[in-house]
Amino acid sequence: MADSHTEDSTQPELMEDGEPFLSNLDIFLFSLIAGLIIYWVMFRKKAEAIPEFKKLETPAPAARETSFIEKMKKTGKNIVVFYGSQTGTGEEFANRLSKDAQRYGMKGMAADPEEYDMSELSRLKEIDNSLAIFCMATYGEGDPTDNAQDFYDWLQESDADLDGVNFTVFALGNKTYEHYNAMGKYVDKRLSELGAKRIFDLGMGDDDGNLEEDFVSWREQFWPAVCEHFGVEATGEESSIRQYELKVHEDLNMNKIYTGELGRLKSFENQKPPFDSKNPFLSPVTVNRKLNKGGDRHLMHLELDITGSKIRYESGDHVAVYPTNDSNIVNKLGEVLGVDLDTVISLNNLDEESNKKHPFPCPTTYRTALTHYLDVTSCPRTNVLYELAQYASDPKDQENMRKMASSSPEGKALYQTWVLDSSRNILAILEDLPSLRPPIDHLCELLPRLQARYYSIASSSKVHPNSIHICAVVVEYQTKTGRTNKGVATNWLKNKVPTDNGHKATVPMYIRKSQFRLPFKSSNPVIMIGPGTGIAPFMGFIQERAWLKQQGKEVGETVMYFGCRHKNEDFLYQEELEAFEKEEVLTQLNVAFSRDQEKKVYVQHLLKNNKEEVWRQIHKDNAHIYICGDARNMARDVQSVFYEIAEELGGMTHTQAVDYIKKLMTKGRYSQDVWS
Amino acid sequence: MDSKTSSKAANKAGSDLSEQIKEITKDAHVRAENTQLMLNYQKGQITQAQYKLLLCSLYEIYRVLEQEMDRNSRHPAVEPIYFPQELARVEALERDLEFFFGLQWRKRVTVPAATLRYAERLREIGRSSPNLLVAHAYTRYLGDLSGGQVLGKITQKTMGLSGNEGVAFFSFPEVSSAHRFKQMYRSRMNSIELSEEERKKVLDEAVKAFEFNIEVFDDLQRILSITEQASGGSGEGKTPTTPLSAVSRSAVAQFTLGVCAALVTVGMGVYAF
Repeated sequence: MADSHTEDSTQPELMEDGEPFLSNLDIFLFSLIAGLIIYWVMFRKKAEAIPEFKKLETPAPAARETSFIEKMKKTGKNIVVFYGSQTGTGEEFANRLSKDAQRYGMKGMAADPEEYDMSELSRLKEIDNSLAIFCMATYGEGDPTDNAQDFYDWLQESDADLDGVNFTVFALGNKTYEHYNAMGKYVDKRLSELGAKRIFDLGMGDDDGNLEEDFVSWREQFWPAVCEHFGVEATGEESSIRQYELKVHEDLNMNKIYTGELGRLKSFENQKPPFDSKNPFLSPVTVNRKLNKGGDRHLMHLELDITGSKIRYESGDHVAVYPTNDSNIVNKLGEVLGVDLDTVISLNNLDEESNKKHPFPCPTTYRTALTHYLDVTSCPRTNVLYELAQYASDPKDQENMRKMASSSPEGKALYQTWVLDSSRNILAILEDLPSLRPPIDHLCELLPRLQARYYSIASSSKVHPNSIHICAVVVEYQTKTGRTNKGVATNWLKNKVPTDNGHKATVPMYIRKSQFRLPFKSSNPVIMIGPGTGIAPFMGFIQERAWLKQQGKEVGETVMYFGCRHKNEDFLYQEELEAFEKEEVLTQLNVAFSRDQEKKVYVQHLLKNNKEEVWRQIHKDNAHIYICGDARNMARDVQSVFYEIAEELGGMTHTQAVDYIKKLMTKGRYSQDVWS
Repeated sequence: MDSKTSSKAANKAGSDLSEQIKEITKDAHVRAENTQLMLNYQKGQITQAQYKLLLCSLYEIYRVLEQEMDRNSRHPAVEPIYFPQELARVEALERDLEFFFGLQWRKRVTVPAATLRYAERLREIGRSSPNLLVAHAYTRYLGDLSGGQVLGKITQKTMGLSGNEGVAFFSFPEVSSAHRFKQMYRSRMNSIELSEEERKKVLDEAVKAFEFNIEVFDDLQRILSITEQASGGSGEGKTPTTPLSAVSRSAVAQFTLGVCAALVTVGMGVYAF
């Protein structure tokens, strides 16, 4: 643009040359002016866009406080909650714990270990009544979360002396992964090794189950333990923290009262698909027969009719049922607590912001709540005892109840023997502690919800599209206190007898899809291991293989390993299984009768006896393995035998065998449907 | 990815498709995790504008993928891995889009070129080689059931959402255990019968599937950076600044100046000679 000035000065000389030149000049001047104008417009606008700021007082950037000790001292906190969190859950738990501290007269803060100098832990004792809580999540293959990596490294290399440091750890993880809660476990162990004092047990949270529930129950026992440790008096507010407020209804229309529904009012009267956990289908029971021929147990086979419900299922799925409590227990509770169980009530959440308006569907009666909605047969958790203690008029009873809820060794031992080992449920506790008379509404607030029970479906939808079969054993046992405890769902199912006199026995149910499935190709061999009621899903599998055969499909080897106590007593589905064997649908039926001879014989022994065949089926023929039944012992013992077979016949080391089986699991060729 | 590499991977991972596919896509997987968009996402540095745009692309991709899967549901290479009840994402995505864009969300969905290319590829293989659909289903769905679950929690927390609002995409209510479902899905993958040749193609397609996703992430990142620059660095999208208007304003200005400079030069040239 500067050039234009020099051009301008020389222009007058050349102006005389003629028209074309003038037009060029015109173009030149025009574009120059146009360019200038546009430039000015564009850039002036930009210039105006920069507002005039007052001289900003930029505070000298605060040297980020990396000492959590200093921060705690400055803000008067005595509890610090560190979190190793990837998805934010660990952090959320840490925040909740730090807020909790207030209720107990203490002050807490949550802290990200990545932002602080963790080696300062040894200084924690500079603060009175201090405590470090750790909410540590495990990531991937037993690894720390990103924000806890440095802390983890420090723990490994450090030889700091953490004497005088109080700590607790809550671990977050997922049981289906091998390194379940590895990080939480490590932190708990290591801190103790370094001399720190563990003031409460490691909490284990399982995301495969219910992480929130695990956290809440751990937390409820944790704080009383903290108070006890520091000799801190629980504040008055703490001893009776009601979450809900009781409202008694005088004259309420019957149509507005819940009588056992889980979601929509009248959903039991006006049934509408789709059916699920909030809207179960009331399925009529068409068959209910005893399966065992002898012995003192009662094993049963039930058939639930799902015609017209549009419910679909596949063999291997689970059926969920909503049981109700024994009316005897409910009536006794009413008597002991001296209330009219048919009072219509609502329990309304005092926290209006909460999504959970009521602990169970309200308005309803105490009778309905105790029958349909609340668990009254499990042993109450320690936090329930703690909350109820205030209602024991006998000081000794009150003291014992508080003790059982504490983390002192005597308290824990007392809880273990008096409650757990003696299988005392809430009714037993009320009967055995006559001075304990809580108000029924507070009790209703404290008792856990009655959960649906799941059963592996014992039928194939290809053969029984409108019927769902259940195979279960009735739970009943004598307790140390001379009482008879009965399993809620199994006793309730036992009494669901199909009748002819118009009043159908119905079961509120829905289907929970599982991933326990026959192989896609029917030509794949299957090895099914299901002793006792573990045979349930395999009845469905075998029925389906029979159906496939009928359809003309090529069906591979179908091998069953079943176990029971006595051939003459509890050989479940003996006739059906032997028939399938005869028809060659079941290519091999192996049954172990554990108590028919002196030495105990179980399914894993039979498996071992057939090791060459088993190995051939797995290694050459692409067999899929299925295990159903007891998780604690049977599943583990069976897995060990598979390791042994792989080692022996596959020429593998133990580690290689373990890897081999693990790979089968990853590839979906080794599935388990087990319960504890 | 040439056939030599894919057969090498095949050998290392044994003969199961699930293992081979995991092996061959290992590198691509790492690259996908390390795109700028994903890195930001994992750190929780995702804005609502970014998430909304991502949802639009996911919707287009799953809409076409699920359409092609439905159409080919009886095909021997699709039937074993066809789980519409458990896996289908379209309905969940529609709910999330309605949550963020309102009832007129259909008119407001915008996708970058990379998403359209991805969708086109899905349509193409759905039409002519349904064998290859498993490569894409594996890449998307198993990803959603794994790392996707983590992203879901991050999204919910970062955006302060409650319940399932806006994050229905990440939730699989019909899958009671993601871990076990993946195991079962792998056994289904392994039951698909493929010739050597067909298998190599599936493995190559799996790598392509990752590439398509990476391109989509990068495209989204590009769009979002321009938007941020134009609206003065605030990526919150307070003003409806579409990328187009931002680009055009500066382009027009540059063009005009260029024209003027050219005319000045021409004028000078003519004058000088």
